[in-house]
Amino acid sequence: MKVTPDNVSEFILRGLECEHIHVEGDGRHFDAVIVSQVFEGKSLLQQHKLVYQVLGDKMEKIHALSMKTLTPAQWAASA
Amino acid sequence: MNQNALDNIKQTVTSNPVVLYMKGTPQFPQCGFSGRAAQVLTACGVEKYVAVNVFSNQEVYDNLPFYADFPTFPQLYVGGELIGGSDIMLALYEQGELQKLIAKASTH
Repeated sequence: MKVTPDNVSEFILRGLECEHIHVEGDGRHFDAVIVSQVFEGKSLLQQHKLVYQVLGDKMEKIHALSMKTLTPAQWAASA
Repeated sequence: MNQNALDNIKQTVTSNPVVLYMKGTPQFPQCGFSGRAAQVLTACGVEKYVAVNVFSNQEVYDNLPFYADFPTFPQLYVGGELIGGSDIMLALYEQGELQKLIAKASTH
């Protein structure tokens, strides 16, 4: 079954509390903007690893995921 | 997971200042993210770096995700440390941080 952007959001939200999440994609390539308080004080690498950990074996169904991870403060500043 | 393969990866990333594991080659990338990663290194002014095509090295393809607990390609290593994939490379490049990390690793 083809993975939808909503599926990807749901997979992430199951394991990570997010202030905001937006995923776009065509079933093979996805772009995600993820805003979470949990990212506070973590490096970009740690933030991305966290998302990959939450996705776990779902990553096998998601061919390619591009992500932008932000803390709520960064999100507020960029809006 | 194969310990010998992990040791070989460690040897590669610790003996070269900049190593990019990618799908395809910088000249002929076989994935958009890998192509973008190579472009970011060019934009940083890195003239010489080690590019490893994971499609032509099955052992690396199978084991690299376990080396630094990062499941996707491309992966950039600077000074032996995983920096991240193409999203992180681009973000750090835009902040001017990637250039600094590479300059620091290249002088050692």
